[in-house]
Amino acid sequence: MNPSATVAVTGLTVRHRRTVALDALDLSLGPGVHGLLGPNGAGKTSLIRVLATVAAPSSGRVELLGTDSAGHGERTAIRRRLGYLPQEFGYYPAFTVREFVAYVAWLKEVPADRAPAAVERAVRRVGLGDRIDARMKTLSGGMVRRAGIAQAIVNEPELLLLDEPTAGLDPEQRVEFRALLRELGTRATVVVSTHLVEDVAAACTDVALIEAGRLAFQGATAELVALGGEPAEPGGSPTSAVERGYTTALRAHRGPTGRARESLR
Amino acid sequence: MSLKGSLTPWGPLKAMNPLSPMSPLRLYARSRALPAALAALAGTAVAAAWAAHWLVSLPAFDHTARLPVVVFGPLLAAAAIGTGLHTPSDELDRTAVRAWWPRRLAHLLGATVLAVALLALAVPGHAEAFGAPAAVRNTLGLAGVAAAGAALIGARLSWLPPVLFVGGVYLAAPGEPGGAADWWAWVMQPGPQGGSWTVAVAAFTAGATLYAWRGARRATAAS
Repeated sequence: MNPSATVAVTGLTVRHRRTVALDALDLSLGPGVHGLLGPNGAGKTSLIRVLATVAAPSSGRVELLGTDSAGHGERTAIRRRLGYLPQEFGYYPAFTVREFVAYVAWLKEVPADRAPAAVERAVRRVGLGDRIDARMKTLSGGMVRRAGIAQAIVNEPELLLLDEPTAGLDPEQRVEFRALLRELGTRATVVVSTHLVEDVAAACTDVALIEAGRLAFQGATAELVALGGEPAEPGGSPTSAVERGYTTALRAHRGPTGRARESLR
Repeated sequence: MSLKGSLTPWGPLKAMNPLSPMSPLRLYARSRALPAALAALAGTAVAAAWAAHWLVSLPAFDHTARLPVVVFGPLLAAAAIGTGLHTPSDELDRTAVRAWWPRRLAHLLGATVLAVALLALAVPGHAEAFGAPAAVRNTLGLAGVAAAGAALIGARLSWLPPVLFVGGVYLAAPGEPGGAADWWAWVMQPGPQGGSWTVAVAAFTAGATLYAWRGARRATAAS
C-alpha cells in the first residue's frame, strides 16, 4: 500500500445488524479531491463514518494520516486533524452561525486564542460572512449546509470528509463550492460523497466508485470520463461522458450475473 | 499538557470566563439548553416549597403530609436533569478530540447537586418524616434512574422510567415504613431507612456510570 496515503483501508467490513454495508473494502487515498460515487445504499455513508472515526468497523484495518485509527490515543490525534460534514447533522437551533462553528472549533481543540479568527475565516470561505451572527434556525437549507461545511474546515483539516455536501445548494452555490473544494484539495485530502456525477466531473481529481460495499472503480476522473466513450446513439439522451463512464464502470463491476439480474427486471 | 490546561473538562481554566459569549463552557451550556433546565429545576424547587408549606398549614394535616412533595418534586427535577442530557449535535460531538465521559459526568453531577440542594431547602424541618433527607435521597436516586434512561432509551424519553417507577410504587407501597418496602419502595420511605438509601445511592451510581460511559442513546438509528 502507498506509504504516503492519507487514507489506507484494508479489508474494511461494516455490518449493520444483518446487512453488510462494506464488504472487505480496500482503498487508498492521497492528497487531492476524491469523489466517492455509488448508488444509494452502496455504503458511501458507512465508509465516511468509519473514516470520520464516529463508527467502528466490524473488521479490517483503517489507517488515517499515517496512524492506525483503532488505538484510543491515535484516534485523538487524528480527530484534531480531521474535518467531517455528516449527511444530516444536528445543531442547537438558537446558536448563531458563529457560535455553532465555535462550538465545533472547541470540540476540535482549536487553541482558544486562535479560535475566533479561525471561525470567521471558515464562515467567510463558505460565503456566509454576512450571516455570521444570524441564528441557525433562521437559515435556509443551503445556508445550513454551508454552515456545516464551515464547521468541517474550521480546524484546517488535513483529511476532510464531506457526506453529500451539495445537497440543498442552488446551482450558483454549487459552482462556488466546487471552487472551494479545488482550493482545499491543493493541501488536504478531501473525500466528497455524492450522487451528483457532475460534481465529481467539475471538482474532483480522482474517483472511487462503490457498489454493494465493494470498490467498483478507482482512478482519475479523466479515466472515468474516457470509460464513457462516445454517445451510443447520436441525438439520443444528452448524458455527459462522465455519467456514461459511471454507468459503464458499474455494469462492468456487476459482471455477467449482475447483468442477468438486471435483464430479468 | 500543563496543569492549567487540564483543570476543567471543558478546557483550560483561563478560557472559562462565563461572561465571554464564545467561552467553551457557555457554548456547551447553550448547546444542551442548560439555562432552560436550570430554570425548570428552580421552578420545581419553588413549587415544592410552596406545596409543602401549604399542605402542612392545612388544619387536618401535619408534616407527614409532605410525602407527595418529596416524591413528585424530585421526580420533576429528575425529568429536568434527564431531558437536559439531550444533545442535538450527536454526530458532530462524536468527532470531539477529548473523551466525553468527564464532561458527561461533570454535567450530571453538577445538575444533581444543584437539584439536591434546592429540594432539600424546599422541605425544612422534621428530618425524620418526609423532610430534607427524603428529598435528597429521592432526588439522587431518581436522577440516577433518569440518567440510566437517557443512556438506554435516549435523553428525550429519559423521564419515562422514573415516572413509571414512581407511579407504580406510589400506588403499591404499604402505608407503614420498614421491611422489604425499604428496598423496593425506597421513594416512599419517610427518611432515614437504611435500605432506601442504599438503593438510591446505588441507582445514582449505576445511572451516572452508565451515562458517563455510553452517553445518551442517539434518537435516530444511523443509516
